Amino acid sequence: MTAHPFIERTLAGFADALEHAGTAERLADQKGLLQRLDPRVKVIGALLLILATMCSRRLSVTASMLIVAVALAWLTRIPLRIVATRVWLSVLFFTGCIALPAAFTTPGLAIWHLPLVGWQITHQGLFSAVQLILRAETSATFVLLVVLSTPWTQLLKALRALRIPVTAVVILGMTHRYIFLLLRIAGEQFEARRSRLVGMLSSEQRRKIATSSAGVLLDKSVQLSGEVFSAMQARGFRGEIYTLDEFQMNPRDWFALTVFGVVTIVALFLGMRP
Amino acid sequence: MHIPDGYLSPSTCAVLYAGAAPFWVVALRRVRRIMSARLVPLISLAAAFCFVVMMFNLPLPGGTTGHAVGMGITTIVLGPWASILAISVALLIQALFFGDGGITAYGANCLNMAIIGSLVVNVLYRAISGRASIDSPRRIVAAAIAGYVAINVSALSAAIQLGIQPALFHDASGAPLYAPYPLSISVPAMLIGHLTFAGLGEAVISGGILAYLQRANPSLLQATSGLDAADVGWRMTRPMWIGLAALMILTPLGLLAAGSAWGEWGVEDFKDPKAREEIAAASHNIAPPAEAPKGLEQLSSVWTAPMPDYAPPFLKSKELGYIMSAMMGTGLIILAFLFLDAVLRVTSRRRKEPGTP
Amino acid sequence: MCTDAAVFEIRAVSYQYSEITALDAVTFVVGKGERIAVLGANGSGKSTLLHLLGALAFPSSGTISFSGTPLTEEVFHDEVFGFDFRRRVALVFQNPDVQLFNPSVFDEVAFGPLQLRWPKAKIIERVDAVLASLQIEHLKDRAPHRLSGGEKKRVALASVLVLDPEVLLLDEPTSALDPRSQSRMIDFLIDCGGVKTVITCTHELHIVEDISDRCIVLKDGRIAGDGSSAHILANEDLLKEAQLLHVHRHRHSSGIVHSHPHFHRGHNHIH
Repeated sequence: MTAHPFIERTLAGFADALEHAGTAERLADQKGLLQRLDPRVKVIGALLLILATMCSRRLSVTASMLIVAVALAWLTRIPLRIVATRVWLSVLFFTGCIALPAAFTTPGLAIWHLPLVGWQITHQGLFSAVQLILRAETSATFVLLVVLSTPWTQLLKALRALRIPVTAVVILGMTHRYIFLLLRIAGEQFEARRSRLVGMLSSEQRRKIATSSAGVLLDKSVQLSGEVFSAMQARGFRGEIYTLDEFQMNPRDWFALTVFGVVTIVALFLGMRP
Repeated sequence: MHIPDGYLSPSTCAVLYAGAAPFWVVALRRVRRIMSARLVPLISLAAAFCFVVMMFNLPLPGGTTGHAVGMGITTIVLGPWASILAISVALLIQALFFGDGGITAYGANCLNMAIIGSLVVNVLYRAISGRASIDSPRRIVAAAIAGYVAINVSALSAAIQLGIQPALFHDASGAPLYAPYPLSISVPAMLIGHLTFAGLGEAVISGGILAYLQRANPSLLQATSGLDAADVGWRMTRPMWIGLAALMILTPLGLLAAGSAWGEWGVEDFKDPKAREEIAAASHNIAPPAEAPKGLEQLSSVWTAPMPDYAPPFLKSKELGYIMSAMMGTGLIILAFLFLDAVLRVTSRRRKEPGTP
Repeated sequence: MCTDAAVFEIRAVSYQYSEITALDAVTFVVGKGERIAVLGANGSGKSTLLHLLGALAFPSSGTISFSGTPLTEEVFHDEVFGFDFRRRVALVFQNPDVQLFNPSVFDEVAFGPLQLRWPKAKIIERVDAVLASLQIEHLKDRAPHRLSGGEKKRVALASVLVLDPEVLLLDEPTSALDPRSQSRMIDFLIDCGGVKTVITCTHELHIVEDISDRCIVLKDGRIAGDGSSAHILANEDLLKEAQLLHVHRHRHSSGIVHSHPHFHRGHNHIH
């Protein structure tokens, strides 16, 4: 079946996405620290902590924020193995590859010479590469923590706290819901073609398979949107959408929010000193 | 080319959010006016489609495989406004759910891929298609070229945003705080990847899906056909001009605020011994290199070389040079394509006038 | 049947879209409390008829009246009338993925009441009650893509029953269900949760007698038959003409060719 890797890889990608979603749903049900907090506190807290990470000019502060993130992950009963595979390894690989040459190309004080080639690593370059990697890892970890500790429907409603309009939140929810349907439809397209393939295909034929699957998907998506609109109308939708406000802050939520705020302020103060 | 968190400074991110916001607001207003209640399911399903299409592994000419964003076909089928919204929604779900692209960098990613991408596709597709009939092969070529160019312009915009980071945001010793590569590296690096794989992927998807729809469901191609009343036009509105102006004014202000003492030294200061002492003192006693970093010299000369000797000193400063680069980045790309769009609309209006309904 | 008790009056209704005539001069009256099965092969216009009755589309010609009021686009501009109609007439779509567009089951069932602006406490109470009556309370926070086919159909039902409608329009309620879910659905359809007037589209002849008193047969957008269920089901020629029965001729071991109507699950054949 590896005669047509593009089909295999696409299907593998779809399966990966579905598995991703499944894990998220499972972890959101656990009884860790973050799961018990009001989703709005988590969203705002994450944004504050990410901001502090972004503004830091010192490696020590950025590294401390990463430690905060890891601590939160542990307290939330999210297995570090999952955080590592989802975020740390991929960020390390991606940003690491991008950051590594910067150690050599950034002008400044040389601190090490690579034997044989004579390239030099500068202090500034190394600092810059490490900062970049730490920032990317930390921010991605905070985002992951919010997403894994909050059911998607609650996360969307929490976005209202950021003054995002109701229409946008409803669209986000509907998009997420139909992604799974479209993944299934597209997956069926590819599997149907895979089972009918005999022998090697030309490059042109392979492209046609991919683009016509995409074309069918687009056609179906537009058609589906018309039918969904009818279904919405049938239940009273006339243009404005109304949703249920269900969040209530309790003392634990206020405390957590205060803690996030204090950590952010301290990090900003320490990190932004020149 | 989803930019993750950490590569763009907070002030850059804020400016780019401010640049994207008016486009979002106007797009929502326009789409609501055209489609009213229907917009909710349409944008949702279109965004879901974009998300899934971005996961397709596409066989490319030459035997390799690549991915596409889908900005081409989304703009052609939905029109530029709805496309801006749909791609922005897809990008947000990617960022939240898959960590593909950062949260602070979300505004930048939307500006590059959703907004600039849709704008470029709209202009080029219409320009190249002209008034060809819906089933004409010329439209396939137009879609492919529009998709190819659009993703490369998006990549260029991202490269510029990344490339100005080291000059503007560094610590006292000169170490870049965010993206560490100057324009001379970031631009070629981004463009090489996109002129080849990503660009071809976008061209294949745009042209391929258009060809499919010509056979299967040509009514979906009416919105940007330029042929009839179903056509959804594009015009800059006042809020968007304001947003663009804000982008271009805030960029240097934000950058100035973030600039440190080290950055205000000019190239000549590296050679003057007294200035070198000052620099060393400010940089924790790390002696500055005897020559200004090569990048610094080359970049500043690009802007100051054409200035005559009698020009006031501030025009020759390096800071102005950097600020000019920043402004040039995002704002000018948008302006260039708007100009092109205006020209095309005027010429097509002249062609439409004689006797067409 | 006097007009006062008429729920729907359909007079010479035709519906065309892009050169296809889906319905042609259809006329009949639906009385209060009637259980009607609309039979027809795929493409006969059943779904279109249901959409028109549910005011999701409007006839190209002819009129449909609900409780004496003709259903037109203009009449739906009035919010009060619109909300009233949507509450009283409920449509369950054939494809539940179209009807389940909210992120969770609870949100889905609460959508109708929310759009009709019921007070929050009433919404929560009604939603919980309906979920319990259909035995799906355990699915309350589940996302729709994680539901089985049978569960989806039950959630779809819940999402309309929560509004306590007077009329239920069901489009192929038993299609794409496994046998167990099908029999559960049929059990529900026999009494329909107390809703009085029910119009069900189906092509499954074996459930018709259980769920309806009256049958309307559609063929190519026209009414080919309208009478009591028992009467219609006995009319083989009509059913054959409407492509609801297929003629099979078997040679039995005795050499005699038998041919009599035989309805059984999934196959409408004459053996």
